[in-house]
Amino acid sequence: MTLTRDFYRALEGIVGPENVSEDPVVTESYSFPIRKATMPDTNVYMPRFEAVTLPGSTGEVQAIVKLCNRNKVQYKASSTGWLYCDPVGPNCIKLDLRRMNRILEINEKGMYAAVEPYVIGAQLQAECMKRGFTCNLAGAGANCSALPLAAHAGLGHLSQSGSYSERNQLALEWVTGDGDIIGFGTLGSLGEWFCGDGPGPSLRGIIRGNTQPLGGLGVFTKAAVKLYHWPGPAAFPMEGICPQYVHPEIPSGFMIRYLSFPDIDALVEAVRRVGEAEIGFELMGFNAAMMASNIATDNDEDLAYLKQFTDHIQGPGFLLIIAANSPRDFEYKSRALQQIMEETGAWSLKDVEDPVIGAGFMWRFIRVTGSIRETSRATGWGGGTVGGTDVFPLMTRYILHTSDLKQDLIDRKLIMDDGIYPFIQSIEHGHAGHGEILIRYNPAGPDHIRNVQGMLTREANRTAIQGRFGVPHHTYSDALHDMYGPEACNYHLLLRKIKKNFDPSGSSEASLYITAKE
Amino acid sequence: MALEDYRNDMETCRRCSACKFIPLEKVKGFQLVNVCPSISRYNFHTYSAGGRLVNGVALLENRISFSDKFLEVMYNCQMCGACDVSCKYAMDMEVMEPIYETRIKCVEEGHTNPVLDKVINSLRKQGTMVPGARAKRGDWAAGLDVKDCTREKVDVIYHVGCLTSYDKDMRKVARAIVKLLKKAGVDFGIAGNNESCCGGRAYQMGYKADFLNQARKNMEAIKKSGAKTLVTGCADGYQAFKVLYDKFDLKGSLEVLHITEYLDRLIKEGKLKPTGKVKMNVTYHDPCYLGRLGEPYIHWQGKEIPGHIRVFDPPKEFRRGTKGVYQPPRDVLESIPGVNLAEMDRIKEYAWCCGAGGGVNESNPEFSRWTADERIKEAEATGAEALVTACPWCEKNFSDAVKTSGSRLRVYDVVELLEKAI
Repeated sequence: MTLTRDFYRALEGIVGPENVSEDPVVTESYSFPIRKATMPDTNVYMPRFEAVTLPGSTGEVQAIVKLCNRNKVQYKASSTGWLYCDPVGPNCIKLDLRRMNRILEINEKGMYAAVEPYVIGAQLQAECMKRGFTCNLAGAGANCSALPLAAHAGLGHLSQSGSYSERNQLALEWVTGDGDIIGFGTLGSLGEWFCGDGPGPSLRGIIRGNTQPLGGLGVFTKAAVKLYHWPGPAAFPMEGICPQYVHPEIPSGFMIRYLSFPDIDALVEAVRRVGEAEIGFELMGFNAAMMASNIATDNDEDLAYLKQFTDHIQGPGFLLIIAANSPRDFEYKSRALQQIMEETGAWSLKDVEDPVIGAGFMWRFIRVTGSIRETSRATGWGGGTVGGTDVFPLMTRYILHTSDLKQDLIDRKLIMDDGIYPFIQSIEHGHAGHGEILIRYNPAGPDHIRNVQGMLTREANRTAIQGRFGVPHHTYSDALHDMYGPEACNYHLLLRKIKKNFDPSGSSEASLYITAKE
Repeated sequence: MALEDYRNDMETCRRCSACKFIPLEKVKGFQLVNVCPSISRYNFHTYSAGGRLVNGVALLENRISFSDKFLEVMYNCQMCGACDVSCKYAMDMEVMEPIYETRIKCVEEGHTNPVLDKVINSLRKQGTMVPGARAKRGDWAAGLDVKDCTREKVDVIYHVGCLTSYDKDMRKVARAIVKLLKKAGVDFGIAGNNESCCGGRAYQMGYKADFLNQARKNMEAIKKSGAKTLVTGCADGYQAFKVLYDKFDLKGSLEVLHITEYLDRLIKEGKLKPTGKVKMNVTYHDPCYLGRLGEPYIHWQGKEIPGHIRVFDPPKEFRRGTKGVYQPPRDVLESIPGVNLAEMDRIKEYAWCCGAGGGVNESNPEFSRWTADERIKEAEATGAEALVTACPWCEKNFSDAVKTSGSRLRVYDVVELLEKAI
């Protein structure tokens, strides 16, 4: 289906002719043609949008949304857009928010920043660090949007001390599915950013919960995010040329360790104690494979480091960064860590204790630059399964169940053998947790993907439901919500009502969210 | 290698958008985070390296054709290679190579840009990428008493390059180089009117056959001269002789040096002594084809080992811009008494392009100028009085942009400042 000429001219009128295109050369580049031949079914191959637009302001977004509603055309917005992840059908246009890229405010006294969707994490973090603050970047990487809703659940490397997006998101500007502009919290009442819950409409629970709408409930055009204290330098000193960057020193008051444990119980206990002592700036349960990918600058190095690290760990582990505010604070945190290590039988990976190697790890983990290496470099193809966010030990148990599934895939040589310890992260000093199993493989064809990702997803869902582990974060679609909803207070029915109320004509394309179907 | 041979590389793209930004470890703030002029100017993902790889696959699978839009997107890229560096921070995949091959495929199948065709016609007829050149190529050397390397044996050939030879504003650079080499007692010569284009820019534009024709012709002449070393002041020429000729097994044992490498060597050997004071605050612009794209070619033949991680037998070392020429020009500048070097934000392997490369200067002067203007603003922010570079294309583009923008920056080649100090 092609757009009517009147509709297209109206789009040109809104954003200017240079900011809209329906040329196949443009729309193709927003679809998902990569590895089309190996895709399991046509639903995964993303058809082209009818047109791509580049709105530059909230007003332009609103005008496009209203135009779409009037003309029964669907739309879908995204910002930085990790992966080609827009499974649209015909009669849908794209809003690429790339031109909405301003930091609106960094409020040092109120400790928040307000951004537009195409500010990337690296930009906001760097500006914050100059002012003695930091923010929780999406764990997916510093290449992702800094707007707190744009990330998955907003979990990041800083979640140990810097929470996650459900809490970090403050006031927000939202163009609803049918084109109203709503300012949440103080934005709605005072025109300020410091609170998302009032005075003014408190709708945070409407636009996000366990999962967020992923472009299926209008467009989020501006948002404020909490900032956290940063006791380090504006940037780490660096030498060398990409990708051989060398970080000569760890800043004063900082420490990094990779700790491995005899078993998962010891790890859970150590996480609890680190949280209780509040000594962790970052605590991320990376496994040896993720550590190896993070430091390695190519796949050959990756394999070598994987062997090296695997040989020197005793079991599951986590990466811990300490950031102290004073020498006394550092002394306390160091001593507390030493005691926790002794009492839980932790081993410290010597490579990470090296000041130069450790400084490199530290900067990459704080800036979140290794995620592309960790997930994508092996073959450009990866996958896995994710849990939800709940009590740390519960999420640990859930993801451990899926480790068995990974072992099965490894045994059948369907995926890379990079160990089966899952990735588990601690949130808010251990109050909550989240786990993921990451797999890397070379997809040989549709059956291969079905056998790997299909089996993993199917079995992980079964485990989540049968084991009462809660709703994972990967519930993207009517089918998944319909599966999990009856197991969780029929939340899907409420979600549908939300969709129907704020997007009555279903213009905001929602195949990764939930539709208003009866 | 053809476009089809890079299918796996293109299909490895994960649309992470790293190709649009400087390496993320290096981000120092909100400003100056972009590294690709094309996506920065045109904004559609299509204009990024990621978009170009998607469209490369689409072209192979006949989902798109060589339409006017396809050609417009394809030629609005300076082939500066910044995307390649930023991608390869994290990934093991070729980025620039399939983009080159897409252009080559276009030309081979007859889908070209008329403006670039005109440039190539000039190359075919006159051996230069400067169309309409009326003067003789060697006129710039009048009165300098330089040896003719086509007639006399010399140790070093100075290959001047098209722009420096034909553009009257740029000849000062060639004359400065001659003076410096003479001062250092180097036994060198030029080919004068017999010099011909390196072919590098033709390759960037996709005219591979024309490039190879130039390369073979040049190497034949160089072999005949008996010289073991070739020095050039042009970044495009440097990359062509050093990297591209090697890629196509034409370089042999010829030592190829950029003039800044050679002058740096001469200074460090004590053969040139910059003693005159040149009181000036400067900033240095890394030419793309001297910096990230100037690293040596890495020959590799082997095969991918089947498995779930992409490794090769023998191991394949990807070119990532790590071994480009970054320090010699800086060392030359810092050897000059009175020169104070202040760095811009985007430097070395993640330097912003001057805008002139890849045929953009000819096919879309407005975009070329926009790209230069961005850099000039960045240079001005350092507080420098002068923007210094090491390539005539960069110098020319910046000089033109400075004139129209009203900037107070002066634009120099490194050798011009060194000449003042000798």
